[in-house]
Order: sequence, then C-alpha cells, then structure tokens
Amino acid sequence: MKFTREELRRLALPLVIALVLSAAGGSIIWSADQALASAQRVLVAAQAERRQDNERLARIAEEEREVRATIDVYQQLKRLNILGEERRLEWADAITRIRTQRELLDLRYVVERERLLTSMPGKPANVDFYASTMKVGLQLLHEEDLLRFLDDLRESGNAFYAVKKCDITRVGQGIGGATMAPRLRADCDIDLITIIDRAAKK
Amino acid sequence: MFAAPRILYFTAEDHYLYHSAGRALELEAKFSGDEAGISAFRDYLRGQRGALFAVVADLAGEDFHEEQIPSLRGADREAILSRRLAQRYRDTRLAAALSLGTVETAERRNERVLLTSFTNTQQLTPWLDALQESGARLSGVYSIPLLAPALAKKLAARETRLLLVTANHAGLRQCYVENGKLRFARLERTGDMVPQALAVFVRSETQRLVQYLVTLRALPREGSAVQVVVVAPPGQKAAFEQALTSDARLQFRVMDYADALSHAKLKRVPEGAAAEALFLHLAARRAPSEQFASREDRRRYRIWQLQRGILATGIGVFAVCAAFGGYRWFQVLSVRGDAADQTAQASAAAAQYSRITAAFPVTDTTTENLKATVVEFRRIAERTANPEQAFRHVSRVLERNPQFELDALRWSIAKPAELRASPNAAKPPPAVPAEGVADALVVVELSGRVNATQRNDYRGITAQVQGFASALIGDRYELVRTQLPFDVTSEGVLSGDIGTSAETGEAPRFTITLSRRLP
Repeated sequence: MKFTREELRRLALPLVIALVLSAAGGSIIWSADQALASAQRVLVAAQAERRQDNERLARIAEEEREVRATIDVYQQLKRLNILGEERRLEWADAITRIRTQRELLDLRYVVERERLLTSMPGKPANVDFYASTMKVGLQLLHEEDLLRFLDDLRESGNAFYAVKKCDITRVGQGIGGATMAPRLRADCDIDLITIIDRAAKK
Repeated sequence: MFAAPRILYFTAEDHYLYHSAGRALELEAKFSGDEAGISAFRDYLRGQRGALFAVVADLAGEDFHEEQIPSLRGADREAILSRRLAQRYRDTRLAAALSLGTVETAERRNERVLLTSFTNTQQLTPWLDALQESGARLSGVYSIPLLAPALAKKLAARETRLLLVTANHAGLRQCYVENGKLRFARLERTGDMVPQALAVFVRSETQRLVQYLVTLRALPREGSAVQVVVVAPPGQKAAFEQALTSDARLQFRVMDYADALSHAKLKRVPEGAAAEALFLHLAARRAPSEQFASREDRRRYRIWQLQRGILATGIGVFAVCAAFGGYRWFQVLSVRGDAADQTAQASAAAAQYSRITAAFPVTDTTTENLKATVVEFRRIAERTANPEQAFRHVSRVLERNPQFELDALRWSIAKPAELRASPNAAKPPPAVPAEGVADALVVVELSGRVNATQRNDYRGITAQVQGFASALIGDRYELVRTQLPFDVTSEGVLSGDIGTSAETGEAPRFTITLSRRLP
C-alpha cells in the first residue's frame, strides 16, 4: 500500500503520539531499573554493615577480654613514651646522664635515620612501628658496665630498646697505673623502637 | 476514536440509513432509490466528512458461483482471484471471492472459492461515489447473505447444513450456510402477506430452494434433514410453527424475532424495522472480513484503521511499560524496605555494641588499634633479648674452667638463615621448631685462649676445648661450632714442631659459637 503525501500527513500525528507514548513507557522502565539497581546497591551495603555489626557484637565478649588483657601493656607503652613520636633529645639526654652517673670512660654513639619497621592494619587508621638504629661504642673497665648501661637505657624510656648486636673485646691489662685504663671495649647496635598509633587520642 | 458507524441499508426500492449506538439501532434517514434520493444523500453527507459508513445491500440479483483455484497465498492468490472475478463479472468494483476451504485432488491441492457479485452494480455505484466524494470512510459493502453465517452463529445454529430464513424489508431472504460458510442465497419479494400466507410461502420457497440446491449438487439428493432456522416476524411465531412442520427433508426451527434480537445482543430497533436489523447490527459491530468494496473505495477507512492501530500500539506499549515499570517500582519499594530493615538492624547492633563497649576500660584508641599495637609489640619483644643472660651463662662456665681466657665475646640476634649462611659454619644450625615461632636466635661467639697447656699437645687442647664447649651447652644454649687452634679434620693440614727450642709461650686460641632460640 503506497501512501499519498496527505495520507502520510494524517499518519504523522498518531505516529508521533505512539512514539512519545513508547518513549514515556521506556523511560518509566528505565527509571524503575535505575532505582532498583540503586536500591539493590544500598541493600547490599546495608546487609554487609548489619553482618559486620552483628559479628562485632558476637565477638564483644572476646573483645572485652582482649581489651582488658592489652590495655595495661598499651598504657605502659604510652607511659614510657614508646607510643608517640621519636624523642631524640631525650635519648641524648639519657645517654649523657647515664655516662655521668656510671662514670663511663668513653662513650660514643650515632643514631641513624628512622625507618619503618612494620605497619599494622587498624581501624580507623594503621599502627606504624618505627626503628632508629643506635650504634654505641663504650670503653669498659668491666663487662658489668655494659649491662648497667643497657639497664639504665631501658629504664630511661622514650623508646623500646632492642639490642641487636654487642661485641666485647679485650683491649688492655686493666688497672695497673695511676690512671684507670679500660680493659674492654663494647660495640653495640640497638634499635630504638617507637610506635605511632594514628587513631590514638592526642 | 471509536466512531459509531452508520449503516446504509440498500434495497431495490428505498434505502435506509441507520446509526448504530451501542446495542441500539436508530433510523437516521430514508432515501428513495432514484436521483432525488441520491441528491438527498449527498446533502446529508455534507456534514458527515470523516464519518464511518458501511453499506448492506439486500438485493435480488446476487450471483454465487463456486470455483476451484490452485492453493496459493499472498499476491499470487490475489492475482488469480482478480482474474477469475474479471472473467465472470463485467464490473468487478463490487465483487468478492469467499474461501470455502481446500480440496485435495489427485494432481494438486485446490482451494474452493465462492465468487459473488451483484448482477446490477450500477444501482449501487452512484451511492458509493457520493460517499467517496464526501470524504466519508467506507468500512465495507456487504450483502445480507455475507452476514448470514455470522447471524447463524449468533442464533446458535451450528448445523453442518443450514438454511437461514428471515423476513426482511426487501423480502424473504433465504441463505444456505454449509460448515459456517455461505454457499447460496436468494431473495423473494413478499409484499403484504398475512402471517399464515407468509408462513406457507416460507415453506414452499424453502422446498423450492432445497430442490434447487440438490440440482446444483450443493445438497445431497439423499441424506439427513436440512436444518431450517426461520426468524418469524414479531407476533407470528405461532402461525409459523403451525405452518412449518418438519419432515424427512426439512427440520424447521422457528425463532421469535425478540429472541433473535436478544441472541444478537440488540436491545432497541427502530419501529418498522424487520429482520434486516439483525444483519445491520452485525455489520456495525462484528462485520466479517469478506465484503464487496474495492481497496480504493475503502482507502480512507484503511488509513483511519492504520491511525487507530498506530495509536493503539503506542497506548499498548505504554500500558505494558507502565505495568512492567509499576512491577519494577514495587520491587524497588520492597528492596528499599529490606534495606531499611537491614540498616535498622545494623544501627541496633551498633548501638548495643556502643552501650557494651562504654563499660570497657577507658582506652585512648580504638579496640582494633589497641589490639594491633600490643600484639605486634609483643611479637617484637619476643624477638628481642638481653645480653646479660648470655654473659652470666658464660661467666658461670668460665669460673669452673679458669684455664680458659676470653679475648672477645660477640653477642647478636640473628635469623637461622643468616647463621646457616656463615662461611665458618662447621655444623648445621639448630632446627627451627615446627610452630615457626623461633624465627630469631641469640648467637654468642667466644674467642679466647687455653692456658696451662702445651701448644703441641693437640690431644690435650682438643679435649679441653671440647670439654669447655660441652660445659657451655645448657640453659637452652646449643653448640653451633668449635674452632680449634689446629685442623684435625681430614680435609685440613696438621703440622707440629716437637722438641725444638722455638717455643713461643703463646697459648693456643679457639673459637666457640653458641646459639639459643628465642621463644
């Protein structure tokens, strides 16, 4: 069936109306699909949140036990300033004080650059462990001097002192003259470990 | 959109214009069959541009001729039918071919068709031209016989062979329907007859028609009685039933006009209208596809149908989309409800968690960070050791072995792999426990001299150093290697200088390496 121009003109309006209706219908479905997809995303997120919260609630007894078991250690780390930024000045003060108090003959040290030891995932932020290696050289009259030095260092706080290496060598014959000559030499590498808890209250 | 159609009932004398409105038929106008009638019709049509019309002819001169054509479809079938119609009828403007079904022959499959037209189409032509010129939409030109199968169905007459007899305005109409298809029809004038005379006339004309159909072999000569459904004029059912008694050849069933109207779902008819009202109502409401008008005459109607079809399609698509969209939105609401429930449950759990944790010891950080900090710190602390413990252990052994004098003590934290990689390693390092906790070792390397023993006394020195090394084992310390001042292994070189005066007096040196697993 071939249409005349007049007939095509008559068919145009119904065709436009039909197209508009079809487009309107399509847009209804499209918008409904979009809304459904969005609602399903929200549902999945809500389900995950509910599951997580319920699991956390179920673990709360264990969590309480963990908190009670760990809080003392944490508080002690904080009290000793192991938790927090490095305190290099305090370290230097402590070494000077120990040398004076223990009347050590000669003491040289170098604290190297801080490095990241490990990073533990936490919530809402990580817990980072840093270490700065201190190389210490000591002239000793007796090996006890080294042990006392290490004890004093540990008690001075401001870091956790992890001794990695200590070499003690004989360097002389001991007390023989008017001056006290060192008998031993100690060279130690000590990691000064600090912890940054990024979720901790300032 | 759904225009009420107008039906032009066309008889040999007068023509009646009816308006179909729902279940009612109303007479709008009456036109004479002469030129004056045509003029009046043209005048009427002036205000009816775009109106929907159908023509129902009730004329005596209607031809029915059965033929067979090859069983074809589409344009080929149309072409053959057009040719056959053109061969049979001089004017094919009002001609139709009705399919009567297929028939199998030995050679091929054929289709039986009933060719039908009016013997005098000229009486209709001016009226159709008037409709065409007025811009009206012609849905079709029908004849009463073309509508007969549909009426028979409405009247619940479903017999294989059926004669439908009605007393129309134009006369007594007899239609022969076979298997629901029209086969033949005729119209006999009746004039003004009393009911009894009309009933007798119906009987005689029916017998004549049956005889004629037998002659045409449209009806079998012998066989069961033919069902004859007669629609009696109003109030004449009793007279018809009295006159129309069934016999072996004819089985009459007389139906009251009011019952027929009820079957046809026609509630109101104009006063004076006869049985043709039944046919006209069908033409207006349930017209068959077979009709006489050409495509060109029906073009406006086809365009109008197309407009309606397009609009209906659009509305249908919109309705389906709206229904599906509604279903989807219902799902959206359901999912949103579920999400709200989940969120509420999560909030309740979080609130309960907060209430419980509020009773926890006060911490300056989160529980997760607290745990992470302490666990990792403990792990680091476990891999850390104090040299003091090693010093005391070595001192205790030295006190029991005063002939040994140390020159150096090297204390370090090492991994088992580092100790294994040492070039001086004389024996494999201690095995790492299966738990894998001891991934660090305290390594103590002692270097010193053995006093009060001759340098050349290899056996003595070896025994003393090994005894010293054995004494150092314990308190979780294990011996890693022992290095003597000379090599007594088969791979090394052993030398001696016995009895010479070149004794240096220097005590023989040794090295012992110990290790201790960190927990």
